[in-house]
Amino acid sequence: MTLADIFVAFCFLLGGAAAFFTAFHPNILYAAISLIGSLVAVAGLYGALGADFLAAAQLIIYVGGILIVILFAVMMSEDIYKRRFFEGAKKYIFPVLAAALVFGGLAKVTLDADWSVATKPDFEPTARAMGWALVGPYALVFQYVVVLLAGLIGAVIIARPATKMQKFTDDEGDN
Amino acid sequence: MSLAEFLSGINYFIAHLFGTGLPMAVFSILSAVIVLLLFAMPVGGFCTYLERKVAADFQERIGPNRVGPLGLLQFFSDGIKMFLKEDSISKNADRWIYNFAPSLVMAGSFGAFAAVPFSAYMIGADLDIGIFYAMALGSLVSLGVLLGAWSSDNKWSLIGGMRGAAQIVSYEIPLGIAVLSVITICGSMNMHTLVAQQAWPTAGGEGHFWNVFHNPFMIINFFIYFTAALAECNRTPFDLPEAESELVSGFNTEFSGMRFGLYALSEFADVILFACIATAIFLGGWHVPFFNLQSINLGLSIGELDLSPLIQSVLMIGVFLFKVSVLVFVVMWLRWTLPRLRVDQLMNLCWKYLIPISFFNLIGVAIWTWAFSGRSMLQLLGQLLGVY
Repeated sequence: MTLADIFVAFCFLLGGAAAFFTAFHPNILYAAISLIGSLVAVAGLYGALGADFLAAAQLIIYVGGILIVILFAVMMSEDIYKRRFFEGAKKYIFPVLAAALVFGGLAKVTLDADWSVATKPDFEPTARAMGWALVGPYALVFQYVVVLLAGLIGAVIIARPATKMQKFTDDEGDN
Repeated sequence: MSLAEFLSGINYFIAHLFGTGLPMAVFSILSAVIVLLLFAMPVGGFCTYLERKVAADFQERIGPNRVGPLGLLQFFSDGIKMFLKEDSISKNADRWIYNFAPSLVMAGSFGAFAAVPFSAYMIGADLDIGIFYAMALGSLVSLGVLLGAWSSDNKWSLIGGMRGAAQIVSYEIPLGIAVLSVITICGSMNMHTLVAQQAWPTAGGEGHFWNVFHNPFMIINFFIYFTAALAECNRTPFDLPEAESELVSGFNTEFSGMRFGLYALSEFADVILFACIATAIFLGGWHVPFFNLQSINLGLSIGELDLSPLIQSVLMIGVFLFKVSVLVFVVMWLRWTLPRLRVDQLMNLCWKYLIPISFFNLIGVAIWTWAFSGRSMLQLLGQLLGVY
């Protein structure tokens, strides 16, 4: 067992345990917090597989951005300790069906894949190749991200009503 | 035999001694911890002393002067005091998260030091994505602040933590764009390459001198980076998360003993880290004007071991740390000069001024790089005057 193997095993354990907590912890706050472990473990796996840029991007986008937004939303809700987000067995049916479908798909892909062992190539930096791919073959897909951003800004402008409070602060200006 | 070969020989010896399995993993983790304790802890501690002395100078007081000569050992006694203090937890605090949060902040600010290039031969991890890695680990800090604040069951803490998270998430954007313009110029995220390109320009050389003087946009970009970094470290005039006149002590109100110590220490570590990154990507790292330190060769050697990389390294580290300490001093100077911003002013400054300006600058830098095929002002001037 080499250092890399130990690291990968650790990432699998951490990610699996954290994902289990996220799915089954009755308190939504702890579920959100255990997402940290799961997201960091995925970043670690990316790193172990040689995708250095992806690992850092995983940290900066998911842990630094999305998780913080989730925590904001959860912490701002009322009576957070009393909330239980599983009430009654009825709510299990659809998630279980969806999970079975996803698991079936993943299992099929895993079993069909050709798992012949290749010699591990030396580590090669990925950032430059990824950059060229994003402005070359995948330029169209990349452009959609800009469309997404425009959509978000549009949504903010439409959703913002001119309330009394807003008018008050707008009139007062920045002085 | 050069120094690098000598060091890799040591590495080989250690790997031979410990194998490559679990003992090696334990050894690597321990050595990283020891390096951190030897570098970051004393430097962070010394910064607390320095800050009190600078504050005292600004207010015409003497400052700490009892412990050791000139009060130099003050931070040492402060550290011992923090270790011995009772580690109190308020009754309704969320114990798990409360205990976990300071370590997140610590991991975020100390882990990023691995990518700081102190000299051409001394860098913890020469990653291809060095600068991006340092910024990614920085995102753990905001998480630690938010969780610590929420778990301590105190409304001042919660308000402080919310402000902290909102502030850090917002200011990460101008910070990231300022860094992006540097990457545009150098075409690399590797810290070593970034610094190496900032050498004094010579006839056939790659260097284009410090990035901050690369073109007019970069000078503005440096100030945007510096302002955003101040906000990221929660330093005055952006210290709203721990505004002591309104929020007691902000997000760390309930923390005591060494847990508070971790927060305080990683705040200073954050300041030093941002000063290090600013030095490396804007102020030319170990490079000095008119001269390339890497060309020094005194011809000294012990047996087969060439000593010149060692001598160069010492000079480079000296230059690097000098620039870093100037920046850290400016940060402290600002603290005792500027008043704190209001929350709405803070958000206005970020979203209405810094972000639009930084986007404009990024486009400007891109156009400059394209128009002059990456040459800096100094290189163009040199070409005009026919120096090389």
